[in-house]
Amino acid sequence: MNFQTRIDDDARGSFSAPPGPIEQVRYACALGALASVIAIDRAIPITHCGPGCATKQFQALSSISGYQGGEFHVPSTNIGNKEVIFGGADRLDELIASTLKVMEAELYVVQSGCIPGLVGDDVANVVNGYRRRGVPIVFAETLGYQGNNFTGHESVVRAILDQYVAKQADAAAKVRKGLINVWSLLPYQNPFWRGDLTEIGRILEGIGLEVNILFGPASRGLEEWRAIPQAELNLVLAPWLGISLAKRLEEVYGTPFLHVPAIPIGARATGAFLRQVADAIGADADCVESFIAREEREYYHYLRDFAQFYAGCTSQYRLPSEINIVGESAYALAIAKFFVGDLGLNPGVIVLTENPPESELPAIRAAFRDLAPGVDGEPVFEADGYLAHDLITKHPRVGEYPILFGSTWEASTAGEIGAPLVEISYPATDEVVIARSYVGYRGALQLLERAYTTVVRQSTEENPELAAI
Amino acid sequence: MAINLRTPQAETREQRLGTITQWEGRAQDLARDSAFTYGCGRDCGPGGRRLCELSSPYSQATMCAEQIAVTNATIIKDTVVIQHSPIGCASSQSFTSRYSRDLAARRGWKPEDPKSICTNMGEQDMVFGGVERLADTIRTAFERHHPRVIFVATSCATGIIGDDVDGTARQLEDEIGIPVVPLHCEGFKSRHWSSGWDVIEHGILRRLAPQRPHEKRDDLLNVIHLGGPDVFSPLVNPLGLQVNLVMGGQSLERLADLSTAAATVTMCFVLSYLATGLEQEYGVPEIRAPLPYGLDATDNWLRDIARVTKREHLVEAVIASERARIAPELARLHKLLKGKKGFVAAGAAFAHGLIADLRELGVTVDDAFSFHHDPSTDSKDAEQDSLGHLVQATGDVEHFTVSPDQHFQAHAALKRANPDFVICRHSGSMASLAGRMGIPVLPIFYSNDGIGYEGLLTIGRAILRVLPRRRFYEDVAAHSRFPYQQWWLDETNPYALSADAAE
Repeated sequence: MNFQTRIDDDARGSFSAPPGPIEQVRYACALGALASVIAIDRAIPITHCGPGCATKQFQALSSISGYQGGEFHVPSTNIGNKEVIFGGADRLDELIASTLKVMEAELYVVQSGCIPGLVGDDVANVVNGYRRRGVPIVFAETLGYQGNNFTGHESVVRAILDQYVAKQADAAAKVRKGLINVWSLLPYQNPFWRGDLTEIGRILEGIGLEVNILFGPASRGLEEWRAIPQAELNLVLAPWLGISLAKRLEEVYGTPFLHVPAIPIGARATGAFLRQVADAIGADADCVESFIAREEREYYHYLRDFAQFYAGCTSQYRLPSEINIVGESAYALAIAKFFVGDLGLNPGVIVLTENPPESELPAIRAAFRDLAPGVDGEPVFEADGYLAHDLITKHPRVGEYPILFGSTWEASTAGEIGAPLVEISYPATDEVVIARSYVGYRGALQLLERAYTTVVRQSTEENPELAAI
Repeated sequence: MAINLRTPQAETREQRLGTITQWEGRAQDLARDSAFTYGCGRDCGPGGRRLCELSSPYSQATMCAEQIAVTNATIIKDTVVIQHSPIGCASSQSFTSRYSRDLAARRGWKPEDPKSICTNMGEQDMVFGGVERLADTIRTAFERHHPRVIFVATSCATGIIGDDVDGTARQLEDEIGIPVVPLHCEGFKSRHWSSGWDVIEHGILRRLAPQRPHEKRDDLLNVIHLGGPDVFSPLVNPLGLQVNLVMGGQSLERLADLSTAAATVTMCFVLSYLATGLEQEYGVPEIRAPLPYGLDATDNWLRDIARVTKREHLVEAVIASERARIAPELARLHKLLKGKKGFVAAGAAFAHGLIADLRELGVTVDDAFSFHHDPSTDSKDAEQDSLGHLVQATGDVEHFTVSPDQHFQAHAALKRANPDFVICRHSGSMASLAGRMGIPVLPIFYSNDGIGYEGLLTIGRAILRVLPRRRFYEDVAAHSRFPYQQWWLDETNPYALSADAAE
């Protein structure tokens, strides 16, 4: 709980930049975790970095990917020659003081970028001065060369937990029955995070739980963060992101955590997920089962009708038989399980792009086993788009109709293998995303709509074979 | 001071032009105090004084020169740009790619992703240096894409750790046999992102625009623009001139032709480094007439081009026919826009141009927001004093704010102005701010939109398209707020925080 505990932050410690160059960049640097702060209502990042750093990260993550918008008027020291030569601590001090004068927030998160790391500014010392005076301000070291926005997210959240949440008067208050903290998709990185977190919150509340969803429009903001220590359970709903946070909370507050690597998509996975959570927290079984029954009744009504399309009555469309994915592990795993496990596709090439910590790779690989009984996915870890392209296009396919789930970068790859492209990962510059979700019960149906609308359009507009008939 | 092409680094705008980023007052005072009285006291004239710059303790994230340099290098065809940096600098790749594909659609090119690669430096590289990583990446870029030119852009990190980018580039150039052009664009080195234009233009001048003394073409006009559709050919083709459109995406051939042209025009003096350099190095004259925004300015701009390229006998007929062509539609737009209040936010000379356009359309402009201010240009020619010309030709702008796209200052300026609409560039914070304040906004992504006779129609029609959106923006404004303290939400002086605020 000491302010200095950030030094042994395990997520950051385990990050290493991949050895090769990267083309078609698929994540931001650690400073990009300022997006996670922006995703918390009434929290503001204060960035100590070069003039373009903060803007570039947020523009990439939000403005251009899914056109997500988001509040961007982030205080920044915009470091110049003077601060590089003489040090930038005084300038940061001036910026923090004026931020407190101009801006209005419940929490300020100071983040440092490459330059203060290289010139050796003592940022912690500056921030500590304000903390001592009772200002709700924390510091996360997010040097661009030390990590990406995934590890940066863990550093930022860890800073908020250790330096803000833990300092609340009621931090050690007793456990609130049925309260659960959810650590799942990385805000803004996944273009559908807002709708997805809303759906995840909805289904957990559906089984009678109280949910701290923590980020986005469905969250009550810092009120939820302050209640984190009182939760009965930390749910890590992602292949690896957030595990270190849950472990930390277990260490500090003794809160147990449940790790579910695959975000559920579709009734089968969602029902199993809800029962797993209910088991872990001891939720009322009747309440759980009645919610699941109600949701399934509606879901399968829709699925029954979709089955008419999927039966191929409209058989001029080439319904995909092989799923290929390029994206971060959370969505890749969830979507692979749904299309292989529920829709009956075969796994093709699955490329995981977020450069997870080395220590997490075996567990991520294991999560791709048994996508359907006896059907394994073999994910490849590759952050470079050029190599990802080669992996997809050079994969031998006999008699398969491929579909590709990826980012905008995959447009030409999809064209080369004749696959429809559904944009599900960063950067998605050909999608306008507001509240759409692809997970849970409702999201699954929207995912089917998007995927098969794409199939129909691709078949009718771009398929030369059919055009010739 | 002449442009110095001997070193691989371009001098920043602050050094060359005395560029400032923070100022507040009347446009006529800024014009008086800057450019041709700047720094010397020699030609001050009555009332002239040294240009002062404000400062603000509070600041918000801006853009950097690296993004401008890299974006505009990336969209040059048959090249690969290497960003020698940690991964974050390269997160702009998706934006550049989107821009490039959009540009391709408008210019009729094959849409394809431009090629850029990040060396992806980690902590080890910060400790031991990254030149080996850079050398490997240059080889990788060459093997993967067989480019004709490779650019290597520096970053804050490489600037601080002192990687020998020039030496590595030279060494690899010998090895792979194509030009490897360093772009020194460390973000911290200039306080304004527009220095990035100078960086890429410096690289082009030094390495990609060779001297071709025996191939002079008296019908070729270099046009340096920010990017977008070619609105220039329709304007100058009737004079028998062909357009060599450079910057904002072009082939290497276009750059190789630069030295053979009869003259160079710039659609914005912020980009005039290349034009002045071409005149200095190859004697290609730079057209210095005020930019073609508004009818009279466009007439005079065409006359100056005709004069320099010896086509004066053709120009009056072109002017007359263009004026006649647009007159009915201009009259219609003027009637619909007359008395509307506009607010302009853009970069320096470009902002001055948009103000002239709006005033020609009958719009009242008492408030403007310029992202930086160049008190002079590289040519040092008073003809290029675009703010002075604006004030002289169309009158003063009462509230002229220079601010590097600062959201909090823009909020105060917009609150003071309370305009019917905002027209802006670098639409990031300004466009979303205006919308959220309930004000219809016209972001100009392609900055050629307002050029020449047709530009007046383009801009006028675009304003009319956005005005009805007030219904949407007001709804949003009524249901959201910005996280500023109430006193700042009420503030109407953008520089209220500055101790030495303008009197």
